[in-house]
Parts: sequence; structure tokens; C-alpha cells
Amino acid sequence: MIASQKPPARISVCGAVVPAAERKLFFMFVENLTKKYDGKAVVNEVSFTIPKGKVLSLIGPNGAGKSTVMGMISRLIAQDDGAVDFEGRDLRRWKSRELARRLAILTQTNNSQMKLTVEELVAFGRFPYSGNHLTQEDREKIDQAIRYMELDEFRDQFIDELSGGQRQRAYIAMVIAQDTEYVLLDEPTNNLDIYHATNMMKIVRRLCDELGKTMILVLHEINYAAFYSDYICAFVDGRVAKFGTVEEVMTRENLAEIYRVDFEIMEIKGKPLSIYY
Amino acid sequence: MNTAGKTAESAVSGAANTAADRAVRTAAYAAGNTAAKTEARRAISRRNTGKLLLLLAFAALVCILYMVVGVRWGNEKLVAYAMKIRTPKLIVMVITAFAIGAASIVFQTVIGNTIVTPCLLGMNSLYTLIHTAVVFAAGAGSLLARNANVSFVVDLAIMGAVATIVYSYLFRKTKNNVLYVLLIGTVLTSFFSSIQTTMTRIMDPNEYESLLATLVASFSNINSEVIVISLVLLVILGLSLRRELALLDVLQLGKAQAINLGVDYDRCIRRLLLGVTLCIAVATAMVGPISFLGLIIANLARQLLQTYRHSQLVLGSALIGMAVLIGGQLLVEHVFSYMIPVSVFITVGGGVYFLYLLLTQKKA
Repeated sequence: MIASQKPPARISVCGAVVPAAERKLFFMFVENLTKKYDGKAVVNEVSFTIPKGKVLSLIGPNGAGKSTVMGMISRLIAQDDGAVDFEGRDLRRWKSRELARRLAILTQTNNSQMKLTVEELVAFGRFPYSGNHLTQEDREKIDQAIRYMELDEFRDQFIDELSGGQRQRAYIAMVIAQDTEYVLLDEPTNNLDIYHATNMMKIVRRLCDELGKTMILVLHEINYAAFYSDYICAFVDGRVAKFGTVEEVMTRENLAEIYRVDFEIMEIKGKPLSIYY
Repeated sequence: MNTAGKTAESAVSGAANTAADRAVRTAAYAAGNTAAKTEARRAISRRNTGKLLLLLAFAALVCILYMVVGVRWGNEKLVAYAMKIRTPKLIVMVITAFAIGAASIVFQTVIGNTIVTPCLLGMNSLYTLIHTAVVFAAGAGSLLARNANVSFVVDLAIMGAVATIVYSYLFRKTKNNVLYVLLIGTVLTSFFSSIQTTMTRIMDPNEYESLLATLVASFSNINSEVIVISLVLLVILGLSLRRELALLDVLQLGKAQAINLGVDYDRCIRRLLLGVTLCIAVATAMVGPISFLGLIIANLARQLLQTYRHSQLVLGSALIGMAVLIGGQLLVEHVFSYMIPVSVFITVGGGVYFLYLLLTQKKA
């Protein structure tokens, strides 16, 4: 296991080696992660580290492997090779239930056809703690989560009766009730209109700033990534092409290299935003 | 049928209740009153408890009717005789209803689709094939065909072995993809059926005649040994799966959500699937091809109870199963005087209900 060894020199953030003293600033070390389908590597020896308490966005063209990486670092997808060190222990050595109290993952494919009210859905967030029997503390966490996502008026509606944006908020409320330090969201703005997508990104920022959660997102919309994240990790062809702060990654040259189209970078409210054509 | 009307009625009143409840609860939350909140929460769970109690009462009523209708009370010997004949039948139907009801709800949750039936697992056609093969190879007069205990054990052994190989080993090979289960089941069903058809074509017509009687589900003449063995097996099955059964609510959220909430998804699904198949195998070995019943009762339970809680769904489905089976048998015995077997009702009623489900589920 990585944790039991001395800090390996290979682990780096944007190319710089992480000194042992700074290791506690990071919660996840991904090393040589590989996933192959039919012998073809979709994710090829990917290594990066994820800082605590920040918003990190994974971007890149279709098929670059960002969702697969997300799946592997959240144990949804089995790793073919490499290692993920989560808080000093290999991800595969964690008990699933224990991990569920530390790390939450929300994907786009959710069964929303079941007869489940918003409150009941949010209550599932407490499952890793109390199983099927909710305690008073669980009830309070559920109430808080519902209030935080401003879902009070919908709490008794079935989720299949909600609009896409409301349903997404209900799922986020469930993640909040799960009360994990780390939250992974796979394309949270997918299928949402501009209003709901922007609100979703504001919620992501608030979860990080107000509740101190570490947020990791897979995003297609690079301007959302640029405006709301702290770090960006760009994937191309199953490898990490760029990793760094928003300012480091969001340059004309980098984006043109990643997406292979022409970009212009503008600065709005101190953030680099891109125009592509 | 009586049950259908009742269900529709309570579904309508259920909808009205929900709207009223919702208004009350919303008001309670607006007021921020904790006591009112708890009260509202209890009201919701009380409503389903009420429905389940009603179902229980109805199922009990049907059971009692089945036991007493047409009994000649004057003659003590005739009463004793009727009880002796009817009690084992009633027990068999209750066991079947619970086995099929529970297995169907679990199967639908595992697959993630509410219009699949455990029929698709191929156990019905395997049963038909085994019985045809026995008559074909050994003749209708052979011990295997005549002795109910022996044929039960043979059925159970073969179906259990096939179920374990296919739904444990092969399922693991397909990387636990549940869609393959449906595919494998469908292929197996056609495979078994075509072998069976071939055999019946070249079989002696007299033997075919006697075979036909064993190929429809029947609750008559089931040995008490068979009943006891089935019951014991089903209880063992339920107990060994109790941990997985408690996870059903979470499993329904889908694979990603279940894993996120700390469930060992693949293992859980594999065990449940094997459990469902074995449960169906036991029920089928006991009474014959009956698993189509599952589609009707599981969906009636879902429609009536409008919940995701599997404890309620399984219980509801089993109780509805009891009402349908025993009520159906009552009709068969006293109205149609054994002209039509109960499985015909189930297949016809189930087919119509299946179409109804397909047409009304379109909006989803």
C-alpha cells in the first residue's frame, strides 16, 4: 500500500513533488490508474492528487476517460491496474459501508420511477449510518438537508412528479444528508437548462465554502468549470493532459490542445472564461 | 373478478387520501410545528398499515369461505372428510402465494423493472420438460411419474441444479449484468419448450393424455411430505437471505446509488437472484407452472400500496396472491365444478392485466 511506504516521489500536483508535510492537504492519491475495455485502454496510467476542501473539475472531450476515472475513484467501476490511496488506505481495502460515510458519489443514471417522496429519498442518505431504522439525529440531518436545498414545499411529492432541476436538487439533498466530507458529482449540470445548471454550480460552490466539503465534478461546460472550481484536471485520450489551478489550465494554448478547436479567453469578474468557435 | 373491483376502488380512495394528507402535511411544515410533522408522518404510515390489515382481513375471509362453502354441516363424517381434503389444499395455496408473491417483488427489484415476471427465469418450461421427459422415457405408469414424492424430489434436484448453475455461475461470468438474466431466461425457456414439444410429438397419444394433466398447476392431491419439505426449504431460503432482503429498499435506487450507500451490490444481487430462482423452483415443483401469477399480484400490490418499502410490498403481494389463488380455486370448485383449472384464470387475467400495465405505463 502506498500509505505504508515513504512518500513516493512520483506523486505530484501539476508536476511538483508533494513533500511529506503537505500530504495532509490532500485526501486522495491516484497512481497509474488504468481501465481497459477489450484490451483498449480507456484510462491509461493516470496519476494525480486531489486537494482537500476545494472544488476540482474534471474536463475533456467525449471519450477522454474522465467519467471512467470518476467511477474508479468512487469504487463504482473496478480498476484494472494502478492504485487509489484514499486517506492513507487503498480504496479497495475500505469497507464499502465505511467509505459511504466518507465519500458520496452522484451519477446521472438514477432510477426515478419508483414511488418515493423527496423526504424518503433524502432519508436514504442516512442508510450508511443507521440502516433502515432512522434515529432522531438522522431525522434532524434529513430536515437540515431538505431545508438547505430549499425543498420544504416538495418534501411529500413523489420524485417522479418533479421537474428535472427539482429532482437533481433532491438527489443533492440526499448527498448532503449522507454527510460525507468528499462529494463526487458526475455531470451535475447535464440535462438542466441555463437557470438550473447555474444554480447547481452555485450550490456546488456553497457546499465547498459553507459546509467545507471537497467537491469533485465531471463537467462538459468548461466555463462553469472555470468560474466555479479551484482546480481543473483536463483529460485527453485517457491521460491527464493538464492539471492545475483554473488560471494555469484556462489558456488559449491549453484549451486548443485539449479540445482541438480555436479559443479566445476573456476575463470576467477576475475569472478566465472562454469563447470557442 | 371480485378482487379487481376492490383494488380499483381502494386505489381511487387512496389517491384522494394522498392529496388531502399532502395538504395537511404541507401546512404542518409551513407552521414549523414538530408535533404536527410527526403526526403527519404517522398518518401516512398508518394508511398503508390500514390497507394491509384490510387485505389481511379479505384474505382471511376468502380462506374461511374456501373452508366452509358447500360443506354439509349435518353429517359429522362428511364435515371431517371435507376438512381433511381442504386443509392441505389451503396450506399449499397459502405457501404458493407467499413464495410467488415475495419472489416476484424481489425479482422485479433486482432487475429494476416492474413488468417482469419470474416466469422469465425458465423454471416453468423446465418443469414441463422434466415431466414430459419422464413420461417419454419411462412411461406414464412408471414409479417416477406416479409417485408424487419421488417426482417432487427429482423436479427439485434438477431445477435447483439448473438454477444454481445458470443464475449463480453464468451470472458471475456475465459480470453480474441483470439484462443477461432476462436473455438467458428467454433462451432457456425456448430451448426447454422446443425439446418438450419434440417429445410430445413422437409420444404415445395415451401417455400424452395422462401427461397433460400433470402440466397444469394443481393444488389437489399434494402429499403432506411435499408440503413440509417445501415449507422448510422456503423458510431456510428466507432466513439465509435475510440480510440481503433488508437491503432491497436501497437496491431499488439502482446500482450506482446502492454502491454509494455502501451496499456490496454484485454479491447482493447474485444471492437474491439465486434465492428468487430457488424459491420459484420450490413452488413450481410443489404445484406446477404457476409463476405467471407473480406479475399480477406484485403489480396489484405496488399499485395499491404506492410505496417503495419492500416489507409492505412483499406482504401485500403475498396477501393479494392468497386472495386471487384461493378465491380462484373457490370459483373453480363451486361455480365451474372443476371444468377449468385455476391457472387458466390466472393466465387469461394476467394477460389482460399485463396489456393494461404496458398501455398505462407509457407516460413514464
